[in-house]
Amino acid sequence: MNKTLIVAMETYLGQVKSWSFIMLVLSPFILLAISLGIGYTSATSSSDQQRIAVVSEQPALRQRFIKANRDDVKASVTSAAAAQKSVDNNNLSGYLVLSADKAKVTGVYHSSDSLSGGMKVKINAFLAQTQQQLNLANAQLSSKQVKSLAVQPAFQEKIKASHGGANLAKIISFWVLVFMIYMVLITYSSVTAQEIASEKGTKVMEIIFSSTKASKYFVGKILGVFGVILTQIVVYIVGGYGFFQIAMHLDNIKQLITDNQSLVNGVIKNMLGINLLFVFLGVIIYTIISAFSGALVAKAEDAPKAAQPAIYLSMIAFFLTMPFQSNSDALISRILSYVPFFSSYFMPMRIINDNASGMEIGLSLLILVASIGLLTWYIGQIYEGLILQTDDTSFWKRLRRGLSYQK
Amino acid sequence: MLSIKHLRKQFGSVKALDDVSFDVPDNQITGLIGQNGSGKSTTFHSILNFLKYDGEIRWNGQPIKEADFDSIGYLPEERSLMPKLTIEQQIIYLARLKSKPAKEIRPQIDGWLEKFAVKGKKTDKIKDLSKGNQQKVQLIVTLIHHPRLIILDEPFSGLDPVNADLLKKAILEARDQGAAIIFSSHDMANVEAVCDRLVMLRTGDVVLNGTISEVRDQFGKSEIYVTTDWTEDQLKQLPHVIKVQNIRGNRFLLQIDDPSKGPEVFEKLTDGKYIEEFSQQPPTLDEIFRMKAGIQHE
Repeated sequence: MNKTLIVAMETYLGQVKSWSFIMLVLSPFILLAISLGIGYTSATSSSDQQRIAVVSEQPALRQRFIKANRDDVKASVTSAAAAQKSVDNNNLSGYLVLSADKAKVTGVYHSSDSLSGGMKVKINAFLAQTQQQLNLANAQLSSKQVKSLAVQPAFQEKIKASHGGANLAKIISFWVLVFMIYMVLITYSSVTAQEIASEKGTKVMEIIFSSTKASKYFVGKILGVFGVILTQIVVYIVGGYGFFQIAMHLDNIKQLITDNQSLVNGVIKNMLGINLLFVFLGVIIYTIISAFSGALVAKAEDAPKAAQPAIYLSMIAFFLTMPFQSNSDALISRILSYVPFFSSYFMPMRIINDNASGMEIGLSLLILVASIGLLTWYIGQIYEGLILQTDDTSFWKRLRRGLSYQK
Repeated sequence: MLSIKHLRKQFGSVKALDDVSFDVPDNQITGLIGQNGSGKSTTFHSILNFLKYDGEIRWNGQPIKEADFDSIGYLPEERSLMPKLTIEQQIIYLARLKSKPAKEIRPQIDGWLEKFAVKGKKTDKIKDLSKGNQQKVQLIVTLIHHPRLIILDEPFSGLDPVNADLLKKAILEARDQGAAIIFSSHDMANVEAVCDRLVMLRTGDVVLNGTISEVRDQFGKSEIYVTTDWTEDQLKQLPHVIKVQNIRGNRFLLQIDDPSKGPEVFEKLTDGKYIEEFSQQPPTLDEIFRMKAGIQHE
């Protein structure tokens, strides 16, 4: 196998098999599972107390109500006495006694508390509908008259595409995206810088550099970290989809998502596709610069502070995006959307706000990819000098010494 | 054969190597000696292309390229491995970087661990091994891919005599298999015991270069070991004797001003009678080292 790939595999396996990575990847799912679990448990445990029983001497009438309000009714309670007992024991919210003669439908609710607004509306709607059917039957109308009485008023909602949900989708997408880039960057900048810094000046690096070129080793190292990042993104996408499917089985969440379908679709659309590519390439270029700063520490013990330069740079880019969130077409925003290190924040912001053409996106991507290539090549060339020299002097002296090590 | 010609290296105003030339032939062990800072590690780093240098370093007549890395085994001065890996993972990873497939190396690991008497299982993590055992694993890593050029920077440092013997045995075995070996050491006894050739550096200059006997003979047989009933004062009265050192009991080391006068000293000392020991020798490597390094003989 190619030596670059051997290094990449070693780096990749070393990272993904570590507990810190496993916890990093699993923690959001664990938190999500806990919150869903708590939600589900509290929903099921409290549901009986919020439900009512329905009692009627006319089984058909009772069944119709239960069918229409299945979630709100505890169907197993069939008698008024049993229902009263459950109410007394605080196991039921109350019970409804339904009765109907030839002319009138009656519903009597028994409880120690007043009915919730929602439940009252549902009971009234059921009683009104049943009474209506009874009235129609008693009026002995012709089918034409019945038809004409069945006509309902029409109500339509027409909302312009650029307003409302779409705008909200943009705002949500923007915040999710910048936070996603920022969090992934912070994590991998630290991981990479520490990984490289911990090798600084160690003699095992001399053994490795007597086996393969430093540039190949550096590229292998970066490829390994890319693999780790990619793994995390794939796990999040697959796991997120899995959780989405599970959540859709929970009625409340399903209702929430269905009610906001266009918003959810808008956010997902903004998150995937070209923006995800910008996120990935952004993380890569910051990873490379982190590796560089990791190689610049004075000695392996300084590894924890190695990521600082890359983290500061990403913080600057992160905070710079804030003022332009609602003004992404401004000149500065347009310029920064082409500048590597900044473009990963600014171009997705412009894409979300629909003010970047295909050509502009392509050009920004091209600059980013070319910068990644050039940076990797250059650091690969000076990497040996940076890693092998261990002068405990100032940052700039170390940089100068590292750059001239091979001269 | 490794051939070094007119090697020069300067760090800022400090001259690290100045016109260094010597050969490391196949099937031979060359000792590179010198005080700290004399340029030994810089020489090794130049051979390994860690540094840009002036001059010429050739391996089998060609400049050393990446393809030659697979036939080099290098043991750095300080020991360091990857602490989170197991012994097996560490050996396989570094062997794979020498283009040896894992399936070829894996079956050999047990044999090498036994050969170097490494205490521990191959599934033990490097960080859980003692310093001595880590050092042995590093030696295995240096040798397991059967390199043709072996560079060992202070391989004996920190090894007890038993483990030093294991290492000597492994070095001699690699030499017998045809490898060209160069190692640096401060322990002249080890150099004398193992090396075929010797190169000494002093502040970047080659001050000694040749086979062990050539180097020692350069200094003439100016030392005589004697075991006699004579007192130190009596021995000092002998002709051509310039210094007498009592080694232990009635064993002495005499230094004479002219090696050719050895027979004359012998005549005077024995007067035709039996003597337990009279051995005229060139200075030991240790003495030569001290002499050349500019340190006064004690």
